[in-house]
Amino acid sequence: MKRTALILVCLLATGAAGWGAYEEKEDTNTNYAAEPILKPDAPSVQKSEGDYPYYGNVPPDLLPYRNIEPYYRYWLTRLPFRGPGRDYPAPADLKSLKVGLLSPPPYGPESARGEMSKKGVMLAFEEANAARKAGELPFEVIEKADSPQWGSAANIAVEFSDNDVLAFIGTIDGNATHVALRVVLKTETFMVNCSDPDPSLTETQIPWLLRDFPDNRQQGYLLAHLIVKERELRKIVVLRGNSRPGRMGVRPFVDAVRRLGHPVLQEINFKDGDRRFDTQVAVIQQADPDAVVFWGNPTETGLAAAQLRAAGVKAAFFGFDRIVDPEFIKLAGPAGAEGVTAAYFFDPNKTDAAWTNFVARFQARYGLKPDIYAAYAYDGAKMLIAAIKKAGPNRYRIRDEMTSLDEYNGVTGYMRFDGRWDNIAPIVYAEYRGGKWSYFPEANLKRVKTAQN
Amino acid sequence: MKTIYKLTATLVAMGEILCFCGAVPIGAAQSSTNNLPFPLIERFENFGAKDGLPTHKVHCVLRASDGKLWVGTYGGALFRDNGKFHLISTNDGLSHRMVMCMVEDKRTGDMWLGTMRGLNRYSAGRITTYTQTDSGLPNNVVYGLDIMDDTLWVATAAGLGALNLKTGSWSIYDQNNTVMHEPWVYSVTGAKDRVFVGVWGGGILEYEPASGIFKEHRDPDRDFHFDLAPDDGPVSDITSWVAWEDGVLWQATYFGMSRYDGSRWRTWQETKSPLPSNFVNFIWPHGRVAWVGTDCGLSTTDGNIWVNYRTDEHGDGIMEIARPGQPMETRKMTTALPNNFVLGIWVDDREAWLATSDGLAHAFLSPTQSATKVAVDQ
Repeated sequence: MKRTALILVCLLATGAAGWGAYEEKEDTNTNYAAEPILKPDAPSVQKSEGDYPYYGNVPPDLLPYRNIEPYYRYWLTRLPFRGPGRDYPAPADLKSLKVGLLSPPPYGPESARGEMSKKGVMLAFEEANAARKAGELPFEVIEKADSPQWGSAANIAVEFSDNDVLAFIGTIDGNATHVALRVVLKTETFMVNCSDPDPSLTETQIPWLLRDFPDNRQQGYLLAHLIVKERELRKIVVLRGNSRPGRMGVRPFVDAVRRLGHPVLQEINFKDGDRRFDTQVAVIQQADPDAVVFWGNPTETGLAAAQLRAAGVKAAFFGFDRIVDPEFIKLAGPAGAEGVTAAYFFDPNKTDAAWTNFVARFQARYGLKPDIYAAYAYDGAKMLIAAIKKAGPNRYRIRDEMTSLDEYNGVTGYMRFDGRWDNIAPIVYAEYRGGKWSYFPEANLKRVKTAQN
Repeated sequence: MKTIYKLTATLVAMGEILCFCGAVPIGAAQSSTNNLPFPLIERFENFGAKDGLPTHKVHCVLRASDGKLWVGTYGGALFRDNGKFHLISTNDGLSHRMVMCMVEDKRTGDMWLGTMRGLNRYSAGRITTYTQTDSGLPNNVVYGLDIMDDTLWVATAAGLGALNLKTGSWSIYDQNNTVMHEPWVYSVTGAKDRVFVGVWGGGILEYEPASGIFKEHRDPDRDFHFDLAPDDGPVSDITSWVAWEDGVLWQATYFGMSRYDGSRWRTWQETKSPLPSNFVNFIWPHGRVAWVGTDCGLSTTDGNIWVNYRTDEHGDGIMEIARPGQPMETRKMTTALPNNFVLGIWVDDREAWLATSDGLAHAFLSPTQSATKVAVDQ
């Protein structure tokens, strides 16, 4: 008993450290190739050939080192899994088709989003079980919640394997998803991600992952295009969370505006939980920017927006998807919220039958409207259900089914998967005016041609 | 940390090979083999379920200093004694069935086993387990192990652990006290007076315990979706394995492989070099020769000449010899690897053992030239 208590105390202590311990670090490596500064209209000389020539759906003028043909290019074709397993017999005495769900910690900053994601997943599996034909095994979802310790998700991914899950879904936090992904390579269990925006997640060359959630690359390119090219704003400041999601998430935007000839004047951090932004406001006042780009959770960015306006900052406000949240609007106040522009995934007011029927079913089941986390989770679960039904209870054949997806039409809309199984379908941007958000397709942003654009 | 092999031992080993290699020595019959800087594999002897292996997948293999062969699989650890495999499972106290890595403490004969849930010491038939809740192990998922002097280095999913084998005390190296941005450690190897750490997304860390200094080796272009220039540093920041011997560091990645001799980097990728696949699971250095496990078979290289072994679609063993400026020479072998997905390797001067996704292979080396001689020559 005494030992259990001690362990609990230790876990809590480490847990607290897990959330609060992140510190930005300078890159101590000096052996790097500086990217040339090119004229904004300098064309790319890079060849785009292969089965999947549209890595990350990067517009040609935003490609890194675009005046150089790289020595070696990855993901022009998809990495196959060359190991055995496809002919392994199904386990005897199978009573259900087990699928794992890795949720964020129930008491952490992603808990509300995780709860919506879980609802989307559970609805998909409930519907699949309700539609089950005679003789078909039911699906069984095994949910495990992450804890804020570094590496906790790795242990959970092992537990999923111990529980003989056929695949699993999760999660939102980039740290947790990364460590779980490394485990699935060893346990050979497919992972579907419906909510992690970390651009580097799928860049790890592990052919056991598909992500249906457009990541921060898509949002960064769209915001850069809107700010620099459409609205011709030149002096840009970034205010972002001091966290791995903040550091990694905003990077595509920062790189993109630099490649468009207008590097950010300041990239200023705040910590999750901050409520006063006096220092950041003072720095931004001094920079006198045309645009402030927020990257962080709605509470912090909402408060920062209000304090910037109160200090007389007149710059246009932009942000990533998390500012399309009632909490941001409430805390930013009318002055901070009016005119804000954000990159977003799709128009939640769309009226196509797939979406409206899903919204109706979700509301009937849970008594509330689905958000994007619920919707992408539902789509991810539906994809996985279809793959399991087609492949049978064999992890390797399920992997093959999932990784053969090029396109998918879900409740969230059209999806197009690139050479790393990332959804690179066009996204939208949202503007908040007169007390409501309006949504617009990305305009004049040159991206890969797909069936839908 | 591996020892540097002695030439005298090699001569003895070569004599033994000449005695027990009864199969037709296809390499010896061809004079072109003689100018290779490392031995060829003449034949494979494969082991699977029929021989007592509990699962298809074999993660790691090593021969201990007492001659006993140790094997880590998806379903437990095994040792081979008198030609028979003996299983050590969770029923025997192993902390988890999936054994990912192993290292022997040559001074005591203890075998350390890294699993997906904890670290295990096998000593005189007894297992002692270490987990993140009852020891200083940073995380239960153990990907790599090495022993240097009195320290056991443990690569885990959430940091590098260092167990002082004399005092039993632990030190943890992670994002709080090193230059790591994230503590996603995948591999560790001792290198005389320093330790190289393979970090997932963080390249390679070089640590000097005496000075406490950490140094980063990173991919210079800082971009994952291409490699801007060859030979400019680690081929990628996503390191899957690191190994060191005789002053040479090898980096395995899923984007190709790299070599660092202390002053210069070299990189190899598929289609740009004889490396058969970018997906490199494991490297075992022997002298200055790397034995490379990929998802397309096994390769042996000194950096210039390559010999690749794979099983073709008919199940036949294929050997490909690539010399600079010459067309690839392809030979059919009398035996084949059990599977092309090579996860672990152990090599000395006379034999190689290969852990694959579908069984274990014992490879008999040609006696034409020893790896030790190559190391001495270079």
